[in-house]
Amino acid sequence: MLVRFWGTRGSLPVAQKFGAIQGKIARALVAAGGRTFADEAEAAAFAAANLDFAIYGAYGGATSCVEIEGGDGSFIICDMGSGLREFGLDSFRRAAEGHPKVYHFFLSHLHWDHIMGFPFFGPAFDPTATIVVHSGHPDAEAGLRRQQEEISFPVPFEWLKARFEFIVHKPNEAFEAAGLTVTLTGQHHSHESFGYRFESGGKAVIYSTDSEHKVDNMESEAAFETFFKDANLVICDTMYSLGDTVSLKQDWGHSSNIVAVDLCHAAGSKRLALFHHEPTYTDEDIQRMHGETIRYEELVRAGRPALEVICAYDGLEVTV
Amino acid sequence: MKSDMKWTDETLPDKVVGKVEGRIYEATWEAFANQMIGGVRKARDAGLSLLVVDLTKLDYMSSRGLRALTLASREAVKPEAVTIILAAPNDQMREILEISRYDKIFKVVDNVAAAVPG
Repeated sequence: MLVRFWGTRGSLPVAQKFGAIQGKIARALVAAGGRTFADEAEAAAFAAANLDFAIYGAYGGATSCVEIEGGDGSFIICDMGSGLREFGLDSFRRAAEGHPKVYHFFLSHLHWDHIMGFPFFGPAFDPTATIVVHSGHPDAEAGLRRQQEEISFPVPFEWLKARFEFIVHKPNEAFEAAGLTVTLTGQHHSHESFGYRFESGGKAVIYSTDSEHKVDNMESEAAFETFFKDANLVICDTMYSLGDTVSLKQDWGHSSNIVAVDLCHAAGSKRLALFHHEPTYTDEDIQRMHGETIRYEELVRAGRPALEVICAYDGLEVTV
Repeated sequence: MKSDMKWTDETLPDKVVGKVEGRIYEATWEAFANQMIGGVRKARDAGLSLLVVDLTKLDYMSSRGLRALTLASREAVKPEAVTIILAAPNDQMREILEISRYDKIFKVVDNVAAAVPG
């Protein structure tokens, strides 16, 4: 399987401001120390080898949208955050090259940051496209239709031309979709959310966002350890520090980087992708959080196999 | 791999000192939480307002142990408030407290004698 991140930010899209770009360029020039480069490729290679990701790159600001390749050739997409707009444009390119115009969506829940890209999803206007929306929520269709209503958006759902199908699945009952074996499980979040386990060819990818692991209900985490069991990649809500989740941001519906590590350790997962980044975090903040998470994994690993901790960013591709 | 968690506590004239050993993770957090809550109640029953958790012999605690501290702190709010102070964490545990931001939630001191509320 291949996992491609189109949107990794939580709650609200963000964009780089002038000052942030200016700072990156200034730091890169200082790091270059007067070197000269034959061309842009040589300069880019120097930057990649010598600069922090927060300087030569960016984590991006689109909200949750993750594509998975490796099923039956259909497009497979988790959530419809603002990253969906760019995915939709890219899928036009791939469809023009012969990719089937069948889209299987798997929705974690219906909060705005997870569906806000749908009104800008071009393939929804294509009469030859098929869009299948999988969800644990019986009101998924109502949520998407309501978002198109005139008070919020000028294009009503009825004007969309694609063939739509909405399928509501029961938690913890595996089903086949888009060539993958899929299981969803309920998560603690306002109006509930659902995590997904995608399996194919002996590999497993977990998509678990907007999931609060409550301090007064730690017994329930055994179920998540089972859900994450031996996964090759766990994409996990790591929006806040643990301290935040038990104090000011308690009941905000999100988890922390270190709870994610502990769940993956207990589950024997191979790789953790930090996801659903706090929108107020700068690139430096996210990079620091990534470094701290790697260090925490080392500190509590004990005799377990190492868990690789990566940090999702818009545009990242991970081969599983 | 060491999987034990050992707790002993002592009631002093001005505080209860709980000494925790081993490591606290998914297999031992519940026992630790129960001991922590018991320590809070022991202090309250003795008319004391301070529970010092001596971490000298603790290898580390994962998020489960940290959250057990939170459970105990909630128990400590009422009816009579008991302050929980963490004392003498090793370097590994001090890093964990910083990464989790629990050093912003609990007062952390270098040794038990330095554990003074406020």
